[in-house]
Amino acid sequence: MSQPLLSVRDLRTSFFTSRGEVQAVRGVSFELRPGEILGIVGESGSGKSITCMSLLGLLKSNGKVIAGSALFEGEDLLQLDDRDLRRLRGDEIGMIFQDPMTSLNPTLTVGEQVIETILRHRRISRAAARQRATELFELVRIPSAAKRLRSYPHEFSGGMRQRVMIAMALSCDPKLLIADEPTTALDVTIQRQILALLRELQSRLGMAVILITHDLGVIAETADRVLVMYGGMVMEEAPVRRMFARPSHPYTRGLLASIPDLRDGTHQRLTPIPGSPPDMRRPPAGCPFAPRCRNAMAQCVKALPPIYEVDAGHGSRCWLHHAEAPRVEGINELVPA
Amino acid sequence: MTAYVLQRLALMLVTLFAIITLTFFLMHAVPGGPFVSDKMMAPEIQAAINAKYHLDDPIWVQYLNYLRGIATFDLGPSFKYAGMSVNEIIAQGLPTTLKVGVLALICVVSLGVPLGIVAALNRNRWPDTLVMVIATIGVAVPSYVIATVALYFFALRLGWVPTFGLDDWRGYFLPVFALSGFWISFIARLARSSLLETLQMDYMTTAKAKGLKPGQILFKHGLRNSLIPVVTVLGPVVANLITGSFVIEQIFALPGIGRHFVLSITNRDYTAIMGITIFYAAVLMVMIFIVDMLYLVLDPRIKYREAR
Ligand SMILES: Nc1ncnc2c1ncn2[C@@H]1O[C@H](COP(=O)(O)OP(=O)(O)OP(=O)(O)O)[C@@H](O)[C@H]1O
Ligand code: SF4
Ligand SMILES: [Mg+2]
Repeated sequence: MSQPLLSVRDLRTSFFTSRGEVQAVRGVSFELRPGEILGIVGESGSGKSITCMSLLGLLKSNGKVIAGSALFEGEDLLQLDDRDLRRLRGDEIGMIFQDPMTSLNPTLTVGEQVIETILRHRRISRAAARQRATELFELVRIPSAAKRLRSYPHEFSGGMRQRVMIAMALSCDPKLLIADEPTTALDVTIQRQILALLRELQSRLGMAVILITHDLGVIAETADRVLVMYGGMVMEEAPVRRMFARPSHPYTRGLLASIPDLRDGTHQRLTPIPGSPPDMRRPPAGCPFAPRCRNAMAQCVKALPPIYEVDAGHGSRCWLHHAEAPRVEGINELVPA
Repeated sequence: MTAYVLQRLALMLVTLFAIITLTFFLMHAVPGGPFVSDKMMAPEIQAAINAKYHLDDPIWVQYLNYLRGIATFDLGPSFKYAGMSVNEIIAQGLPTTLKVGVLALICVVSLGVPLGIVAALNRNRWPDTLVMVIATIGVAVPSYVIATVALYFFALRLGWVPTFGLDDWRGYFLPVFALSGFWISFIARLARSSLLETLQMDYMTTAKAKGLKPGQILFKHGLRNSLIPVVTVLGPVVANLITGSFVIEQIFALPGIGRHFVLSITNRDYTAIMGITIFYAAVLMVMIFIVDMLYLVLDPRIKYREAR
């Protein structure tokens, strides 16, 4: 197996607010191989965005990485100084955000916003950068690319703006692309187009992708591997087929159960499991999912379960995998075929 | 774009026309006249004056005459200063008013905006607190109070600057300070809140995620957007600095238009009051027009909306 491109170990990030410390990320670990698409899924507030923002040093000023490491090609992103981090951002690591309506600067042409990224990281002339921007617009299939460089964001539809964002993120051939809910704000048909484009670009350019989403349908179609996050932690991690065929964590099972049928292709948003996520200012000592878990036991409230490796590359953070736990069908006891 | 500019210009003319009409009839609705003062005038003198200034004509004839005058940039004769036209009164006061006003504007922009930026970038730290305390005082205390207090300390007690007049270059300090104090504070507060708001925008995170340097992010992505609201108020600010200076001109005894305006009111110099009012209105409208054009350059979204 190849060397990981990114290796995150025990990442912890908190926000310090007037109402106390918000423990947004509480010990997240994962690995990403070159060219791999890793999906991160979870309810709102589970820490998906903050995990990625922590890696690039993009936290708001009240946020701080408390602990952990994040080796990217052998360099620890969390130890880099501002200058070195700036060198990586937009160059080795590109990023796309959720709302294309607000993530582009309304007072600059889209061309300028792409060109300035290229000029920041490449020693080439402005004309060459413009040429490169035109090629990128063609790559993401913006019609009449050269002309459209001179347009302002408000002259584009949401889908077209997201294409501009993608062009911008890919402008310096990043090894890693982080896409934080790139389609959530778009219409269903546009969503499919953008996802198809992302998949196509990934297979053509070969960069690794972290794809954050609420949408299990998107994960099923796009990702190679999945992280399920809850309460600032990874609850389950598995290759994508395995995750859908044999989910091992009660939370994942709840998420999947809330989707009528994945195969009919309708992209269902997660319908929440009854109850609400934990207060991250006072995270519970035990399993964060315990108050909402149908299988919760006395042990679950007392201590945080470790991640059990239920299969090769498949981990699940649940006490039910403990040898002495009661048998629950489908979790620690195979469903009869 | 051209259509929009033309449309704006036409609208300006209509507005100005409405203001002229309104001013004219309001002035004529006011009882009493310029020559009705304490001592009674002989009827024959009164008649002669009325004839000289066409005060006996029907009011609509007077109105049309007045309009005809304005169309040729002639605001008519002063009622009070024999042999002097309102144009001459304005021309006499304008250089002083303009000099003080432009200096004040330079202070407003070159102090207000940077102070706001420093405050925003140091949010909740001491530079911010300091700027905000001063700016709050500056907005809350009326300019004539600032003027009087400053006059007392710097001119009377310390003798650093003259108490009145502009013969000495140091004479500009206090009037300019008193005139711009409010607006420096106002612009500092506006620039601060606007920049703070801009810093929270998603596209600022995008700019950072692209690896841009802090200076590029602040100046290229942050300032331009956050200065849009500042530019918007700059038109009224300029107009206010020019027209609103009559209190300051009074206090420092500066021979500007504002001083003439106050004098013309106490003298019931009707044509002068009307003329200066219309002049003020025209200045205000031109300033707002210029700012709107500037706005068009700064914010491409406007162009788009107006073009449709
Ligand atoms: N600036 C901040 N100050 C305080 N708390 C914050 C801040 N930003 C995020 N948080 C908290 O961090 C937690 C994780 O947020 P995060 O944005 O990572 O969630 P998410 O999984 O991306 O959710 P969503 O699906 O809604 O985007 C949330 O509980 C949120 O309230
Ligand atoms: S550890 Fe307990 S509460 Fe948590 S998911 Fe497993 S069974 Fe449910
Ligand atoms: Mg998020």
